[in-house]
Amino acid sequence: LASFLLKKYHGGHVVIRLALGGVTNRPFYRIVAAYNKRARDGKYIEQLGSYDPLPNTHNEKLVAFNYERIKYWIGCGAHTTTPVAKLLGLAGFFPLHPMTITEAERRQKATSTEEVKTDNQDQVEL
Amino acid sequence: RGSRERFAFSSAVTTSSEETSSVVKVQEHGGQCEDAQCYIAMLESVACTIFMGRKSRTDPKAKSKLGRIKTPPPVDPVEMVVLKERFTEYSLILRALRLEFKEQVLRKKYEDEVGSAAEERTKREAEEHRSLMAWNDAENLRLRQIREQRVQKETEAAELKRREAVLLRQQELEDYIKEKERQILQLQVNLSVLCNNGMQPNKEEAKDFITMDNLDERIEEALDNPKNYNFAIDREGRVVKRTAIQ
Repeated sequence: LASFLLKKYHGGHVVIRLALGGVTNRPFYRIVAAYNKRARDGKYIEQLGSYDPLPNTHNEKLVAFNYERIKYWIGCGAHTTTPVAKLLGLAGFFPLHPMTITEAERRQKATSTEEVKTDNQDQVEL
Repeated sequence: RGSRERFAFSSAVTTSSEETSSVVKVQEHGGQCEDAQCYIAMLESVACTIFMGRKSRTDPKAKSKLGRIKTPPPVDPVEMVVLKERFTEYSLILRALRLEFKEQVLRKKYEDEVGSAAEERTKREAEEHRSLMAWNDAENLRLRQIREQRVQKETEAAELKRREAVLLRQQELEDYIKEKERQILQLQVNLSVLCNNGMQPNKEEAKDFITMDNLDERIEEALDNPKNYNFAIDREGRVVKRTAIQ
């Protein structure tokens, strides 16, 4: 279904991934459908959204998705990279990525152990 | 290891997971390190500008890394089991989603080509196309007529111009020839005037001319009457015509 225009690829496939833009100390990602072998910021087939990793004034991280076109491309057989899959999972379009759950669990455990340690230290001091 | 722990603690404070994971990955790649010791060690090892993968295949290992044994991060078996289960579930759901999207795309394609409203749509589009093409043809015809008229006028004007130019050239040639002839005539006249200026025959002088019929008589006359041009003259102006020849 997906036609390989212009450049002749051998065994390539379409991916939905983040293309980095912006300036020094200010990244900005575009969620983009591109061929696998293309450069990260090079020519892409279609832009399907954007992702701003730095939080704004209201402490929000803005993400945009074009669900119709994402559906089309995944129907045409596009792969997704892990960050894109994670973002889509958080957005609700995909199921939640296992690594997000495990990372959250690890963080919770770390905070709980830290609290326990500080409590123990306070008790010891007292 | 110390740096990695530091970053893991800082991740607990912030709410994002993507950032930390990406940052941790960068750290593992050995990219831009903010720790002073690492920076100095890098400088000692290979002095280059700071880009990822500064060393080539033949560069030796840094002295600070001599006794280093790289160990992968420790795996928690309980967590691993849970993770495996989660991943199977996740991949299952993803596969189902993918197939569903594929089906949707195919259905859409099918409906576009052989759908309920497809025939009407194609008919309508064909009609529009035909009308547009007709309008286009009419426009082309109109423009072509205008163009032909214009071209005709231009050719006529060019023809006229050409003829006029030819006539002009002919005229010029004739004028030139006439001028030259006039000049020639003038010159001839001048020449003739110059030549005939002294030899213009007057009636009075014509009487005394020697012609072919007077020739004999004149010769006898000249022989019979020898003219003596000698004379003498003195300072007072007294002329004496009598000479010794007589």
